Amino acid sequence: MVVQAFFVGVFGLAAIGFGVAVFRTASMVRSALALLFSQAAVGCMFLAMQAEFLGVLQIMMMATEMSIMAIFMVMFMMDPGGLGGMDMSHQKRFSIGAGAIAAATAISVALFSDWGPIVAEAPDAAMQTRELGFEMLGRSMLVFETAAITILTAMIAATAVAIPVRQPGVDTGKLDKGNGDKEQEASK
Amino acid sequence: MTVALVLLTLLVGAWLLAVIEAWLTTGRLRPVAPLLAGLSHLGRESILARKPDRLFFETAPVLLLVVAVLGAAVLPLAPDLVIADLATGALFLNAVLAYVLVSLIMAGWGPNGAYAMVGGWRFLGQLIAYSMLIVMPITATAMRAESLLNSAIVESQAGLWNIVYQPLGFVLFFIAAIALAFRSPFDLPTAPGELAGGVDAEYTGVRLAVLRLARLVMVITLSAATTVFFLGGWQGPLLPPWAWSLIKTLAVAVSMLLVGFYLPRIREADLLGWCWKLGIPLALLNILIVGLLILVVP
Repeated sequence: MVVQAFFVGVFGLAAIGFGVAVFRTASMVRSALALLFSQAAVGCMFLAMQAEFLGVLQIMMMATEMSIMAIFMVMFMMDPGGLGGMDMSHQKRFSIGAGAIAAATAISVALFSDWGPIVAEAPDAAMQTRELGFEMLGRSMLVFETAAITILTAMIAATAVAIPVRQPGVDTGKLDKGNGDKEQEASK
Repeated sequence: MTVALVLLTLLVGAWLLAVIEAWLTTGRLRPVAPLLAGLSHLGRESILARKPDRLFFETAPVLLLVVAVLGAAVLPLAPDLVIADLATGALFLNAVLAYVLVSLIMAGWGPNGAYAMVGGWRFLGQLIAYSMLIVMPITATAMRAESLLNSAIVESQAGLWNIVYQPLGFVLFFIAAIALAFRSPFDLPTAPGELAGGVDAEYTGVRLAVLRLARLVMVITLSAATTVFFLGGWQGPLLPPWAWSLIKTLAVAVSMLLVGFYLPRIREADLLGWCWKLGIPLALLNILIVGLLILVVP
């Protein structure tokens, strides 16, 4: 129990440390990967708490998700490498206030919640996976299906928005100008 | 002891692979050549690009090697020859392989070079697409075994290997494994002749030696995974279990080399298009077929 608590603490501190690193760097890729390692440390906390499936899943999912975030940050920021000495922090007073309130709320929820009796022995990993499966395909199915459909809708909508709409007479700036010219002539 | 044996297997496997690869390309069998090449890298100057992201540049080759070894740690070579037979072993392998991407993004971004960066981001698209073809066929093998324990997946193939039970899954997994190890014809992140080495381009000396070793170990790990999930793992007549694992793993690794040897590199757009439009629907179909087989055939 003491060893477990020690490792939960170590990984927790690592998660916070990498979380701080996200905002301390000016490089977008460093920032995204720092967030990845922060989330992976949370996954390691799950492992230290004997929740093997959740831990491995967290570590797996974050790798691709944060990599995708990295490329989006590189695409959309004006100085992705951070070589121009860009400062990522802004609205400092407001951020500090919001951070302090959020931290106080999280700590008070942790301290004042009734967590029930402490389970000394977690069920073995295979049993946990099985129970998680029944939970997800039973009681929690509606929640997960709703989330999945929402994400799918967002993906389709995002793709649809990204496809340029052809309007006669408007230069979309695309390379295939041949067609655009024909359309322009047709509209005349 | 088990750790030492698995590490030794990986090293010997990587050496054998390098010998066979050189044999295929030069036509000469020189067993000592890879060792000498490795040693010569150690003696060479390690050039550092201008304004690099030093942390990523140094971390990437080591991370790739660690990932390849961690992946092998959950694959049983014999009933009692596995470093960690995790209850979530099949999932753990997927989790580890996702970090190949992180390593290549680091290797691409780190040296502050255009070719390397193009190579790194190319691999982002490649891995996100092809990791689906790793996850879904593994899911189908876990369905048959009713377990995520890799040893249980091997034991579930006692009567019939998965390559016969779910051939579609095997083909998809094999292709995806080559794509994940970015070997030819899926070597778009390095693309010699087009990207001047891509993610490899700026690496020299000891760092390049680690990167090359990591890529070879990665092929061995993915071949061992193919063996465990589809070729019955350690099972086979007469020979001891570990020998069967080694023979099958090496056969898969050599077949990966041969595929790369005879096929030209694929265009990035085709590579991604085939995966999303053809591979993933087929992988879903494989899961459906296996599910029906499990329900219908006792």
